[in-house]
Amino acid sequence: MGDDALADRLGRFVADRLGTSARVVHLERSTEGFSQETFVFDVDVARAGDVERRAFVAKREPVAGLLEPYDLEPEFRVLHALSDDPLPSPPTPWFERDPAVLDRPFYVMARLPGDVPIPAARADGSPPFDDAERTVLGPAVAESLARLHAIDWRALGLDFLGVPGGGRSAAEREVARWDERIRRSGLPVHPALAEALVWLRRNPPATDEVTLVHGDYRLGNFLVAHENGVPRLTGILDWEMVHLGDPLEDVAWCASPLWRAGTPYASGVLEPDELAARWSRTSGRRADAERLRFYDVLAIVKMEAIMLTGIEAFRAGRTADLRMAIFEHQLPFLHALLGMTRGWLG
Amino acid sequence: MIALETLVDGVVRTLTESVLPDVGSRFARGQLYAAIDVLRNLRDRIEPKAALLAAEAESAAAALERVAAVLDDDALRDALAVATAGSLDARVVALRAALTDVLARIDGLPDDRAREARAAVSAHLAAQAMRDLAGVKPSLLTEISKG
Repeated sequence: MGDDALADRLGRFVADRLGTSARVVHLERSTEGFSQETFVFDVDVARAGDVERRAFVAKREPVAGLLEPYDLEPEFRVLHALSDDPLPSPPTPWFERDPAVLDRPFYVMARLPGDVPIPAARADGSPPFDDAERTVLGPAVAESLARLHAIDWRALGLDFLGVPGGGRSAAEREVARWDERIRRSGLPVHPALAEALVWLRRNPPATDEVTLVHGDYRLGNFLVAHENGVPRLTGILDWEMVHLGDPLEDVAWCASPLWRAGTPYASGVLEPDELAARWSRTSGRRADAERLRFYDVLAIVKMEAIMLTGIEAFRAGRTADLRMAIFEHQLPFLHALLGMTRGWLG
Repeated sequence: MIALETLVDGVVRTLTESVLPDVGSRFARGQLYAAIDVLRNLRDRIEPKAALLAAEAESAAAALERVAAVLDDDALRDALAVATAGSLDARVVALRAALTDVLARIDGLPDDRAREARAAVSAHLAAQAMRDLAGVKPSLLTEISKG
């Protein structure tokens, strides 16, 4: 479907949902997300004899991608439930499963102000944030994560995500989830990955803390706006991996070397220890070192599982997206990180 | 994991189906067609560097021999003999699979027996990780993401 046809269909969809006339005046495919298809669009909406311009983002299930099999509904339900929460998640009013509308399921959310800094050094080698920006953003990232983990998921009816039992079950469930994704890719398990999986299966930590876990809380999924030169965390995006589990999974993922963008800082904003300490102070929860170590390893295993899924989709010809093919030469970096995290590479 | 021919086919498909329709200038379209033409003809003339595969096969086999000695495991020796036959490509695949199996078996051993076997595998993994890293360049992630 061409962009003009897509714009027409989205315009009709918004008009139908708002009960007024609406016309898409700008539509752009975003290249930043590697998983779902993302369309940024503006709509002119008729309001009491006037026209109001509103900014949206549509996320559509891809034909093939990194997080197969896709089901957008759980993340929509979470985002919809959080629409009034002070956490800066995008208000998300609509989900549509009918293929007659946009061929595949999609949801629409409000577009928040700001840009998405990429988890890599800039083209000139400089980090994504300077020291002054980090001073503001670092605490905001840690405190927003604590706020996310304070969400009363039971009150919001989010137990449909699957409530892990106590003890080791949250950790075991995550290992099983990612092990299954690796298996489903059908690709051979590299010995470096096998070593990590063996260790993860043997060492799941126990916790009775079960919170909402974003699952992909990191640089690259933060929206940052500048006002008078001062940065502000305006949005937390990409909730595709949301689930209930151990909050330290998010802390470890955010601090992972995967997202340091050529800096020593967790997600480019804070020393990893400082992230954990600030999160701990704000949340009132303990950043247990043993649990963090488990989730440090799991973070890299998760990333490899995601890449293997993308590689397989490309290899099988289910996607022509060359961004899936680049993961092939990312794997050596992951294996080196696994070696350093597990201790077999000095 | 992605065969080189499959990779080239995928690049050609993406350039033809996803990039070409959005290229406006006639000169740029001509250049793009030329690039596609080069890739289609390169496809059957490239192969992985044999030296890299040979180094991995030698290192993996040495690690597995040490593990077989530590565990005094005839089944592993037999598996190793099978894994070191065949083409270089097939040997690397078989040796990786053997290492993966061995890691699971080591995990079930008492610590004193597991330690030396684990050290042999770890030494290979570390050396291989460095060899693999030497063969890749950092991806242009910012450019790929931002366009």
